[in-house]
Amino acid sequence: MFIKQSKILRNFLVLLVILASFITGCSNKATEQDNASVKDQSKVVTFSMTGDIGDLNPHTYFPNEFFSQAMVYESLVYYGKGGEIQPWLAESWDISKDGKEYVFHLRKDVEFSDDSKFNAAIVKKNFDTILDNRKQHEWVELINQIKNTEALDEYTFKLTLNNSYYPTLQELTYIRPLRFVGEAAFPDSQDTFKDGLKSQIGTGPWVLSEYKKNEFAVFTRNEKYWGTKPKVDKVVVKVITDGESRVLAFEKNELDFIFGNGVISQDSFQFLKDSGKYETKLSEPTATRTLLFNTNKEATKDHKVRLALNYAFNKQAVIDNIFYGMEKKADTLFPPVLEYTKIDINPYDYDVARAEQLLDEAGWKKVEGKPFREKDGKELQLEFLFNSTDNIQKSIAEFVQGDYRKLGIDIKLTSQETNTFWTTAFQGNYDILFTSTWAVPFDPHSYLASITTDSENGGPDYTALLGLPEKKEIDEKIKKVLLTTDEKERKMLYTDILSTLHDRAVYLPISYQSNVAVYHKNISGLDFLPQEAEVPLTTIDVE
Amino acid sequence: MSWFIVKRLASLVPILLGISIITFILLHLIPGDPAVAYLRLSNIPPTDVAVAELRLKLGLDNPLHIQYFEWLGKVIQLDLGMSYVSKNTVWDEILLHLIPTIQLTMTALFFIVVISLPIGVISAIYKGKWIDQFSRIIAYVSVSMPTFWFGFLVIFFLSVKLDLFPVLGRGTLAHLILPSLTLAFGYIGTYIRLLRASMLENLNEPFVVYAKARGLRQRQIISRHVLKKSILPVVTGLGMSFGNMLGGAVIVETIFAWPGMGQLFVSSILNQDYPMIQGCVLFMSVIFVICNLLVDVTYSFLDPRIRLEGGK
Repeated sequence: MFIKQSKILRNFLVLLVILASFITGCSNKATEQDNASVKDQSKVVTFSMTGDIGDLNPHTYFPNEFFSQAMVYESLVYYGKGGEIQPWLAESWDISKDGKEYVFHLRKDVEFSDDSKFNAAIVKKNFDTILDNRKQHEWVELINQIKNTEALDEYTFKLTLNNSYYPTLQELTYIRPLRFVGEAAFPDSQDTFKDGLKSQIGTGPWVLSEYKKNEFAVFTRNEKYWGTKPKVDKVVVKVITDGESRVLAFEKNELDFIFGNGVISQDSFQFLKDSGKYETKLSEPTATRTLLFNTNKEATKDHKVRLALNYAFNKQAVIDNIFYGMEKKADTLFPPVLEYTKIDINPYDYDVARAEQLLDEAGWKKVEGKPFREKDGKELQLEFLFNSTDNIQKSIAEFVQGDYRKLGIDIKLTSQETNTFWTTAFQGNYDILFTSTWAVPFDPHSYLASITTDSENGGPDYTALLGLPEKKEIDEKIKKVLLTTDEKERKMLYTDILSTLHDRAVYLPISYQSNVAVYHKNISGLDFLPQEAEVPLTTIDVE
Repeated sequence: MSWFIVKRLASLVPILLGISIITFILLHLIPGDPAVAYLRLSNIPPTDVAVAELRLKLGLDNPLHIQYFEWLGKVIQLDLGMSYVSKNTVWDEILLHLIPTIQLTMTALFFIVVISLPIGVISAIYKGKWIDQFSRIIAYVSVSMPTFWFGFLVIFFLSVKLDLFPVLGRGTLAHLILPSLTLAFGYIGTYIRLLRASMLENLNEPFVVYAKARGLRQRQIISRHVLKKSILPVVTGLGMSFGNMLGGAVIVETIFAWPGMGQLFVSSILNQDYPMIQGCVLFMSVIFVICNLLVDVTYSFLDPRIRLEGGK
C-alpha cells in the first residue's frame, strides 16, 4: 500500500512536468518559429500597444485601435503638417462656389491589397455603407451634412452636402470611419458596421499577416503600395497592458521603440531619458488636459467660484512635480498652435489671495474652528470625478485635493473605471470632471461641435455647460462657425467662442499633452506625424 | 471507490445550481443596464427606443425568475451567450484564454511542489537549526512580498540584467518560467510552513516511536510513514490553490502580458460585458468545485478512512 502511494506522489510530479511541457510545446511553437524566421531574414521593428487591434474595421470603433486602422486603410485626403490638407487617394479636388459640392479626382495607380482596383465605385460603396449607419457616426458632422454620393466616372467621385461645411476636407482625413475597404471585404449583407468585414483589405502601406488575439499582430509591407514604401519589412505589435512591463521589455531589447501618449509613466520616461542609453523625443502639444466645471451644480454654477478654482490651481507645481516639466502649461482650451485657436486672453495666473477674495464674494466664508468654508451653514464640498485607470488623473486629483483644502474647499475624490466614469460624466453627476480635448484633426471644430449636442459619441461638455446663461448663444455661434464660408467671419467667431468659454471659466486647462517616443540608437526616422494616433511606421528604419 | 465518486458527483448538482443562482442574481444587482452596455460596446447610441427594443430582444423585460430559467436552459446546453465586445461566443473566448492560464497554473503548481516539499520536510527534520531558520525567512518573504513587486524584480534581475529569460509574452518554455515562478512564489511559503507543521505533528505520533522500536532507519520513517500522512493537508491546499490560480492570476498576467483568464475576467468587468462576466464566474466556479472533488477523491485514495466513511 505504501509503495503504491509514494508512487502516486512521484507520478503526480511527473504528470505535472509532462503536462506543462506538452501544453507549452504544442500551443505556440509554430508562432515562435515564424517570428524567429521573420527576425532572421528581414527588417522587423517591434513595439507595443495597450490593447488588442480588434477586428481591424475602419467603419467601426471600439475595440479597434486608431493606429492599426491607419496602417491598413487610407483616406481621400491627408492631414499634413500644420493642418495642411494634402492629396492622398484623391490627387485633386474641386469645390463648388457655394461650398456644397466636392468633386474628387482619384489616383489611377491605387490597388487594394487583394489586387482589386481602387476606383470611384468602391469609394461610393464605402461611403454608402457608412451613411446607412448615419446615426452611429453622427459625431462626425460631415456625415450629417452629406446629401448625396455619386461616381461620375471610373476615377471621379462627387460628394454633395446639405450645407456648405468648411471642415469637410479635414473630417475626410479622420482615421475612422471615412476610409476604404476593398469589394471582397464586404460581408454578404454589405453592412460593414453591423456584420463586420470578411477580411481586412485596404490600400495602405501595411497588410495584416499574422494575428493572435490579445498577444500580437504582425503587419507585412504592402509591396504593391502606391506611395512611398515603408523601409522595414514587418512590424510586430505586442499587446502589453502594463507601462512598467513595457519599459522592462524595451530595456531588454524585446521592443524597438515606445510611442504614444500615456503608454509609460512620466517617471519611466525621465528614467529612460536620464540613462543616456536611448533616444527620447516629445511631440509638439497635441491636446489639452483640462478640468471641466459642472455649471448646474450649486457651487460651480457660480462664476466667481469657478474663477476662484482657476486662480487657486498651481499649474506650474503640477507640471514640475507630476510631469517633470515634460508638458507645457496651458492657459487656453486648445493649444495655440492649431488653426483658429490662438486667442488673446488674460490667463488666470496662480493667485491664492485673489481666489480667497472671490470665494468670500461668492458667500463661501471661512468659519472659525472649521476646516472648510461654509455658505448658509453648508460646507463647500466639491465632487471631483476622474478615471481610475489613468494614473496621471489620479496624481493630479490628489494634488488638487491637498491644494484646495488649504483654501477651505473639501474635494471629494470619486474614481471610477472607464465605462462607469463616462456614464457618470454624461449624466453630469459631479462638480469637477477630469477630461481632455480630442487632439488634431478633431480640435477645435469637432470638439466644439460636441458641446452643442448630447450625442453619446460626443462629450460630457454639453450637459456640464447647460447652466451657463450664454449656452444657447455659444451653441449658435459654434453651429454658425462650422457653416460659414467667410474666412474672416470664421476667425472672428472662433475667437469669440473661445474667449467666452475662457471668460466664463468653465474649463481649467492644465497642460498641453504630447506624444512621447523612446527608441534604441539603431532606430531612425521616428518622427511624429500630425495626427496624434498615427505611428510613423513608414519612415522608421532599423540598422 | 466508484460509489464514493458517484456520491460526490451527485452532491455537486445542488452546489452548481446554487452557484448559477448567485451568479445570475449578483449580476442583476450591480448598477447598469445590460442593454445599454451592449449598445455602447457596439457603438450604437443607447436611445430610449434602441434600449427598449434590445431589452425586448434579450428578454430583459421578463420577470427575473423567467430570465433565470431561460438562461439556465441555455447554460445546460452549454450555450453561455455571446460577448458584447468581441461578438464571439463566450465559450470561444473562455477556451482561448483558458489554455494560457492552464499552462501558467500547471507550471506554477510544479514549482510549488518541487520547491516547498523538500524545504518543508528538511525544515521539519532539522527543526531549530539554521536550515529551518532559513526556510522560515523564505516563507515570510514569500507570503509578505507583493506579487507585482516580485514579478518586476525577477524580470529586472533574471531577464534584463542576466538575460536568462524573455521579459514578456508567450512562446517557448523560457517564456513560461518567470510568470509561473512569480505566481508560485506567493504560495511556496504557505506550503513550506504547512508541511513543516504537519510533519512535526506526526513526528511525535506513536507510530513513529513504534517504527523506531522496530529498528527502522530515520530516512525510512520519514519517507515511508511520516511524509505519507503529512502530505494530506498539502494535497487539499494544492487543490484549492489550483482553482485560485486559474482565476486569480490577474496581476501576474498583466505584468507578463499573459493573455489568460484573469485578464479576460477583468477586461469583461471593465467593459461591462455581462455575458462574459456571467460565463467566467460560472466557469471558474465549476472548475473550483471540480478541483474540490478531485482533492476529495485523491484524499480518499491517500487516506482510506475517508473513503470508507463516505461509502457507508
